[in-house]
Amino acid sequence: MFSRFSLLLGIALRHISKRKRQTLVAIAGVGIGVGFFLAVSALMIGSQNDFVETLIDAAPHIIISDEIRSPTPQPAVRAFPDAAVEVRHYKTRNEVRGIKDWQGLMRTIGARSDAVASPSLSGAVTLRVGGREEALAIVGIEPGIEAQVSDVEQYLKEGRLRNLETTQGGVIIGEEMASRLGVRMGDIMAATSARGVTRTLKIVGLFERGRGQFGGSSGYVLLREAQSLTSQPFVINRIGIRLDDPYAAEDIAKRLEARYGYKAESWQERSADFLSLLVTRNVIMYTVISAILLVASFGIYTVVSTSVADKRRDIAIMRSMGFSSGDLQAVFVMEGFTLACVGVLAGWGLGFALMQVLGSIEFNIQGSTETMPLDRSFFQYAISAGASLFSAIIAAWLPARKAAQVDPVDILRGAV
Amino acid sequence: MTGTPLIRAEGLTRVLAVEPPVTLIRDVSFEINRGEFVAVIGPSGCGKSSLLYLLGLLDRPTEGRLLFDGEDTTGTDGNARANLRLARFGFVFQFHFLLPEFTALENVTLPMRRLGWLGGAEIDARGRALLGAMGLEGQEHKTPDKMSGGQRQRVAIARALANDPALLLGDEPTGNLDSLNSKRVIEIFHDLAAKEGRTIICVTHDPEVAASAHRRIHMLDGRIERID
Repeated sequence: MFSRFSLLLGIALRHISKRKRQTLVAIAGVGIGVGFFLAVSALMIGSQNDFVETLIDAAPHIIISDEIRSPTPQPAVRAFPDAAVEVRHYKTRNEVRGIKDWQGLMRTIGARSDAVASPSLSGAVTLRVGGREEALAIVGIEPGIEAQVSDVEQYLKEGRLRNLETTQGGVIIGEEMASRLGVRMGDIMAATSARGVTRTLKIVGLFERGRGQFGGSSGYVLLREAQSLTSQPFVINRIGIRLDDPYAAEDIAKRLEARYGYKAESWQERSADFLSLLVTRNVIMYTVISAILLVASFGIYTVVSTSVADKRRDIAIMRSMGFSSGDLQAVFVMEGFTLACVGVLAGWGLGFALMQVLGSIEFNIQGSTETMPLDRSFFQYAISAGASLFSAIIAAWLPARKAAQVDPVDILRGAV
Repeated sequence: MTGTPLIRAEGLTRVLAVEPPVTLIRDVSFEINRGEFVAVIGPSGCGKSSLLYLLGLLDRPTEGRLLFDGEDTTGTDGNARANLRLARFGFVFQFHFLLPEFTALENVTLPMRRLGWLGGAEIDARGRALLGAMGLEGQEHKTPDKMSGGQRQRVAIARALANDPALLLGDEPTGNLDSLNSKRVIEIFHDLAAKEGRTIICVTHDPEVAASAHRRIHMLDGRIERID
């Protein structure tokens, strides 16, 4: 079996080595296809990973808020679930907002070794400096814990998160907000909450520009500060959770929500729009680069097809010698497959080189020098090889069937 | 074994399914024994080559039976026929029909390597011996385009003999050779029949080949006119 395989492969190699130009063109076709597949997918997947990483780490993986997705049913409806109960004109109890038994929730999460939870309270205040006023969404945090849960710290341009603890009435706002108010680090502003409480706040940190969710209109204060500003002592209305495995967030969020009733939003849910956008992007990318690989396999089709046409006489001779039609078909499929294999290797080389070039390009984003994020995983190499070899086999098999169908008698009769 | 003829044709008929149908071979019956050298002769278009392709299992009869070594080959599938050609038959054509990409030795060893009964070294040795027997020492590594017509035809005969076939089929094997080379081929065929006991069936226009054969099948319009 092996000797037969090597014999047929030997014949195939001899055929393609005698038609150098066509062989080179076919190999170049596959090589360029594979090379650009690698470069493009490295760039696309690399930037996607970079983007998803930002999505994941920008905020806690799960955010539990004091909202409830569906209001609790009325007691009468709960008591008679199957009955036709209609309750009208009932008066809802005026409940205090905030997550009840949040300490219990914190303990539940704290019991897991792979999760860290940080409680916070958000509210709204109005900042006033001179004659200018700006609405600010404040988030009250425990700096020590919050730093473990989100990457807030790294978006600070000036100051540190810990400054909130060391400075009485400290606040961190975005650069945009600061310039709108005309204030700088260390300046003092008046803040008034909806409940009428007024405090003076001192700027102890600034978020860098362009960090949308932090820069524009929100600011960080100490949790206690937020509680007293909004007159909600001991209340929190948000718990941020960070997980060792971000991809478990969806599952864990569901379980927490089922157990405590509060809305627990995973990062996947939060950025569902972006994620579906990424899916679309991937579909487009793989469509385009599959088309490249497909076109490359046309070259193989042409080579094998002309090879079969040129070798009709040889096919007849080999049939008369006792080679079966399957043998002949195998010879021509091997020709195409060999071209594809060499092409894939060349393409890997080209792709690697292109990635080196892409990876060495540096560009500036808001003052910091960055290089393009590239995904150089082996997986991309494997996919490009698998797809090209598969399409090459099809491209070679179609004309090779003709070789199997050659009737030696037709050829021999015609030759005499 | 001598009792059964090597080839027994019973009412072989081959009709080409074109419009209108063309009958190439019409109700042909004969027997050929081991070690016989038989020439098939007749004018152009009488069906000589068509008969040879049927005997060589390259084509199938539309009617009749063909027995090889007592076995009916009529209903066998493509692979079985290919294997029979590989192990028991050898073909020599008017044109040498060597594979142009391969050297003389590679051409000769190809059928042996496909059959796979011998090891690499034995195949090589047998290939050289066959070429040597054809007077082609020193030509082993030449490709066909570097050889003369007579040399190529002898390489083709060596290749036909590669798997030690019982039956050698020639289709105008001397048709493209000068008289000197033709004589050599006739001598070789004679020796193969007489000394090695091979059966040779040779379609020919060449009166010298016909004259040197043991028997002659005369064909006319797809029928056997006479055998002498």
